Amino acid sequence: MKKSLWLFSFFVLILAILPCPAQSAPAYPTKPIEMIIGFGPGGAADVTARLVAGYVSKKWGQPINVINMPGASGIIGTRHTLTAKADGYTLMMDNHAVSAMLAASQIDLPFKWENRTVIARVTVDPVFYLVKQDSPWKDLKEVAENIRKNPKVFRWGVAGVTAVGAFAMPQFLEVNNLPFDSLNRVVFKSGAEVVTALAGGHIDLAAQQYSEATGLILAKKVRGLAVVNPERLPGLPDVPPAKEVGYPNLNVYGWQGVSGPPKLPPEVVDKWAKSLEEACKDPAFLEQAAKIYKVLAYLGPKEFWEFMQEEYKRYLPLAIKMGIRK
Amino acid sequence: MATFDLLVNGFSQALTPTNLLFALIGSILGTLVGVLPGIGPTSGIAILLPLTSFLPPTPAIIMLAAIYYGAMYGGSTTAILVNIPGELSSVVTTLDGYQMARQGRAGPALAIAAISSFVAGTMGIIGLTFFAPPLAEVALQIGPPEYFGLVILALSVVVSLSGKSLLKGFASAAFGAFVALIGIDLTSGQKRFTLGNTELVGGVDFIAVIIGLFAIAEVLRNIEEATPSIYSAPLKSLMPKLKELWECTGAMLRATGVGFFLGILPGCTPGAISFIAYDLEKRVSKNKDQFGKGAIQGVAAPEGANNATTSGGFVPLLALGIPPTPALAVLLSGFMIYGLQPGPLLFEKQPQFVWAVIASMYIGNVMLLILNLPLVGLWAKMVAVPYYIMGPMILLFSFIGAFSVRNNFFDVWTALFFGFLGYLMDKVKVPTTPMVLSLILIPMLESALRQSLSMAAGSPVLLFTRPLTLIFLIAGVLMTIFSLYARYRKPKIKEHLLGDKEEAK
Repeated sequence: MKKSLWLFSFFVLILAILPCPAQSAPAYPTKPIEMIIGFGPGGAADVTARLVAGYVSKKWGQPINVINMPGASGIIGTRHTLTAKADGYTLMMDNHAVSAMLAASQIDLPFKWENRTVIARVTVDPVFYLVKQDSPWKDLKEVAENIRKNPKVFRWGVAGVTAVGAFAMPQFLEVNNLPFDSLNRVVFKSGAEVVTALAGGHIDLAAQQYSEATGLILAKKVRGLAVVNPERLPGLPDVPPAKEVGYPNLNVYGWQGVSGPPKLPPEVVDKWAKSLEEACKDPAFLEQAAKIYKVLAYLGPKEFWEFMQEEYKRYLPLAIKMGIRK
Repeated sequence: MATFDLLVNGFSQALTPTNLLFALIGSILGTLVGVLPGIGPTSGIAILLPLTSFLPPTPAIIMLAAIYYGAMYGGSTTAILVNIPGELSSVVTTLDGYQMARQGRAGPALAIAAISSFVAGTMGIIGLTFFAPPLAEVALQIGPPEYFGLVILALSVVVSLSGKSLLKGFASAAFGAFVALIGIDLTSGQKRFTLGNTELVGGVDFIAVIIGLFAIAEVLRNIEEATPSIYSAPLKSLMPKLKELWECTGAMLRATGVGFFLGILPGCTPGAISFIAYDLEKRVSKNKDQFGKGAIQGVAAPEGANNATTSGGFVPLLALGIPPTPALAVLLSGFMIYGLQPGPLLFEKQPQFVWAVIASMYIGNVMLLILNLPLVGLWAKMVAVPYYIMGPMILLFSFIGAFSVRNNFFDVWTALFFGFLGYLMDKVKVPTTPMVLSLILIPMLESALRQSLSMAAGSPVLLFTRPLTLIFLIAGVLMTIFSLYARYRKPKIKEHLLGDKEEAK
């Protein structure tokens, strides 16, 4: 009896193993995928990652686990991803702050920033130039004039060195031919703290992302003078695009996309790019993205990479001139 | 009065079976998240955020909010039983909570933590219900110079937490400040004290440090003694005596005040707030010498304060859409997924929803109290587990906790390093609490100071011209002088009391 049980088990085992070589290798993904974020939960990259992970995992029937590895302005999580095995099971939610802006502001990164396989950009996060609700300034031209007349009097708030504001505000000064030190730079830990300080009148100006600005604009605590986006944004029809108010050259904004370690297999890149492109055309996905104040702006692998390099070319001179490249 | 009607209406919403169920699920999950070190409410809410894709907004937000305030109930459990603070805000709870557990009073300690959490949490919600919009306006007036004053005030606590030797206390605080500075400087992007190591660029994780200093160091001390159980006294009653409860009412009320008002301010971390509440309690107490030796008020104060802080945090969130803590930032994205933008408009456009959520917080707190009190008996039995099982378990949970905050193995080494450091510090009688306090406060102090300076183009003028800042600064200086005076005025008594404390350890 015991012997026959052994035989039976052996038989079952053989059966279980045998068919495998006969089949072709199963299609990616065959196991859960890790999506790394270089920041804590709740930020713009995190929210997008969870949105994308939800959509793609439902489509593929494989879990996509969002893993937060915050630290060192995103360097820790990015390094983890870029040095991981290039099998498509460790990817990251890439964004402006861990690519071009990081490379522009840090001299000795522990990885080569260009050593990454970029897959696709999914969303952009338009930047708003903001003042306090009862500020006397009506538009950006007036802001520039006032800064020119009273240098080193007004304060702008920014959330760190690799935040959108850290590049958007100096760019504003540059296009107006104003010196970089004509504003007092006040650094906060997060975008939420920047807009709060603006609403309380502790600073005079800020350039923050859609998701951070909208709440206080709707609450009538801060006012948007312009938004860096081709058109007006849903929900905020009173804020004109920068190009409509005489600033066509303001072009700093945030974005989120999917990237991975260098030399990712082409089939992984293709599969992701295709699914993300489909997502960006899906009305349901669009609706979800709009709710978390993201604008869908798909760029395929090639265009995405060109976009990133073009960003770096713009940000590097800006970072050097501002003296934030360390 | 309109508020009252709206609240009643909110209750009728919150009491529907579905909403009750999700408040309960949130409370249970919150307690769990609180008990497990490393997994805080922030990641707890983030993990459950996808559920929002199929739940209607009201039950979903009710559940996510319950995780947030529920975590504050759970955080005290491991702090009291095994000296591992489950959450940042429970660090102070270990000081007296763990001592109580060792004296066989784990039951009353856990119970008072739950009761104090309930009282302060509920009173905080009353504040939220009736004064949210005006309080949010006040919060906006608090800028970097005010935070600077506030931190200076909080730092004056170092003197009273220093133990026997002021020099050793300050050395501990200074080392904490040094550790806090490791990493990228936010203002300039400059790397500080990183020795070319990428991991250090990310800074030393605070949770890993406290897990090391508190839990791992304690295990090292205990295995040295080779005792079968670390809990010297047998388990006495589970519930606090009525007299003890009565003695804690003052502590709970003060903790509510401190927690709620500081909780409204974005930028005041719950860790700092519970320290301030603890110190306040120690100052007003008649039995100052009991603090650190198992004073029940030393548990009631920080636990009450951190729950009042969560209630306070909803003020700027609901009234202005400003999340004062990372966990509330995740909750805010939950709101946004439903297209609900918190702010004055939310109260106008979606009163049903807002008031249902606020009403559910009253209900959730009652549920948490009912959930946690019977658990006290269960948890308290843990003290009967022999130490050869308990010790390794504590280490295991310490490592998991240290790892899971940033999903980084480096943090496990950090915890281990600080475990040995904490052990050595104890040997040479250098207190660790000032170090923890300055780890929490120095980053706040630095950014508030640099912000205040850059607001005035480098001049310190704002620190001396803003009335609230001045008040805080003067209070801080006075409290320091007072503590120093008390220390040197009656050296005999102080020595005697502190000597006792040393022996009790």
